[in-house]
Amino acid sequence: MGVDNSLRLGHFRDNFRVEVVRLTEDDMEFDMIGIDASLANAFRRILLAELPTMAIEKVLIANNTSVIQDEVLAHRLGLIPLKVDPRMFEYMSENDVPNEKNTIVFKLHSCCERGSSRIKVLSNELQWLPRGSELTVSTEKPAVDPTSRPRTYTSFNCSQDSLPEFSNNPIGPKHDDIIIAKLGPGQEIELEAHAVKGMGKTHAKWSPVATSWYRMLPEVVLLQEIEGEIAEELVKKCPVKVFDIEDIGKGRKRATVARPRSCTLCRECIRPDGKEKEKEQRIYWDKYVALRRVKDHFIFTIESTGALPPEMLFTEAVKILEDKCERVITELS
Amino acid sequence: MNAPDRYERFVVPEGVAKVSYERDTKIINAASFTIEREDHTIGNIVRMQLHRDENVLFAGYKLPHPLKYKIIIRIHTTSQSSPMQAYNQAINDLDKELDHLKNAFEAELARHSGSQSRQY
Repeated sequence: MGVDNSLRLGHFRDNFRVEVVRLTEDDMEFDMIGIDASLANAFRRILLAELPTMAIEKVLIANNTSVIQDEVLAHRLGLIPLKVDPRMFEYMSENDVPNEKNTIVFKLHSCCERGSSRIKVLSNELQWLPRGSELTVSTEKPAVDPTSRPRTYTSFNCSQDSLPEFSNNPIGPKHDDIIIAKLGPGQEIELEAHAVKGMGKTHAKWSPVATSWYRMLPEVVLLQEIEGEIAEELVKKCPVKVFDIEDIGKGRKRATVARPRSCTLCRECIRPDGKEKEKEQRIYWDKYVALRRVKDHFIFTIESTGALPPEMLFTEAVKILEDKCERVITELS
Repeated sequence: MNAPDRYERFVVPEGVAKVSYERDTKIINAASFTIEREDHTIGNIVRMQLHRDENVLFAGYKLPHPLKYKIIIRIHTTSQSSPMQAYNQAINDLDKELDHLKNAFEAELARHSGSQSRQY
C-alpha cells in the first residue's frame, strides 16, 4: 500500500505548480497547475463561506428619526466590510458575555440641523469605541451603590487600544465613503453597533471575499496548417485577438495561436460562414480549429473585501481544508 | 418557518458522532460512512482521492437531502484492502498533498514579491 501512495504523492509533487500572475492589495490572480477540479472547487467554496471575518451583528438603536427603518439600517450596517484581522478575535456564543476579545463596538451619532439641506451619513462617521459600550442597561431598581459604574451592554476588562495590534492602527470600515443613510432636516440617528466573528455560511456579510472564482485554461488547437488568406480571415474573426500571423518566408503567411489565455470561448472562430459569402466559398471552420480546456490548469481570481489580503486568505483556506480533513478521519479501525 | 437554523450547517450537536460507519451486509468489503455537518466541499475531494486508489472498486458520495446537513460516502474495495483502510489512506494522502500545496504557494508568493520589489 505504501508504495502506491508515495508514487502518487511524488507524481503530484512533480506536476504541481503555482504561478502568481497579479497581486495587489485587494485582489490577486494566480494559476494552479496539476490539481483536480474538486480541489479547486473546494477552495472556492471555503473562500466564500468558511473563512471567518468580523461584521456588525447587534445594533442598539437609541434614536432613529430618519426615513430608513431600524431593521433596514441594521441590515446595511451589517454589510459594511471592516478592516480588522479576524484571527485576533474569538467566536462569541449565546452564553458568552461580550468582552474585548470577542466584540468590537462602534458608535454612530449623526443629525441634520433644521434649516440645512439633506446630508449623507457616510461610513467614516462610525466611531470605534475601544473601551466598550457606552449605553447603560436600564434596570428597574435604582443602583444600590451610587459610586459603582453603571452596567453597560459589554464588559471590557481593558481597553482594546492598549493591545499592541490596535494601538497604532485603529479599527474601522475599509471604505470611508459608503453611504449608510440620508438625513433630512431635523432627523437624527444615534446607535451603537457590536461586531462579532462569524462565517459566510451563517450570513453572507461575514464572507471575506467580494467574490472568488476560477476558470480552466482554454486550449486552442489548429487542426491543419492555415496559410494565406484564410489565415488573415481567422485572425480578423477573433474578438480578443487570440490568433496571430507569422511569416514563414517567401511571402507566405501562417496563422498561429498567440494568446490562448485571453480566449473567452465565444466560438466565433469555429462558427461556419453564413450568408455573407457565396455557397461555394463558405468555410466550415470547425475542421481547422478545435476549442478545448486544459483539464488541470486553473486560473484563480480572489477579490478581497479588505479584512485580510488575498494571499493570506488563500493560505487560511488551505489551513481550514486541512482541519476539515483531520476532523473527518475516523478513529475506529 | 421550517428552515433549520444557519448554525446547524456546521455545529455537530451533542451525542452525535461526526463520522459513523456501517458495513454492508450483502456485499463483502463494502461500507458507508456518514459524516455529519459536511457538504460537497469535503465529499467531492474524498471521492476524488478514493478514485485514485487502485484497490477501490466503487466510491461515491451523496447528500441525501439539501436541508439535512450530512453526507454519505459509499466505498467498495477488493479483498486486498478494506473500506476503512481505503478511507483513512485517502484522507492521509490528502493531508500530505495539501501540505505540499501550501508550501509551494508560499514559496511562489515569496518569489513573486521578491521579483516585484526588485523592479523598483
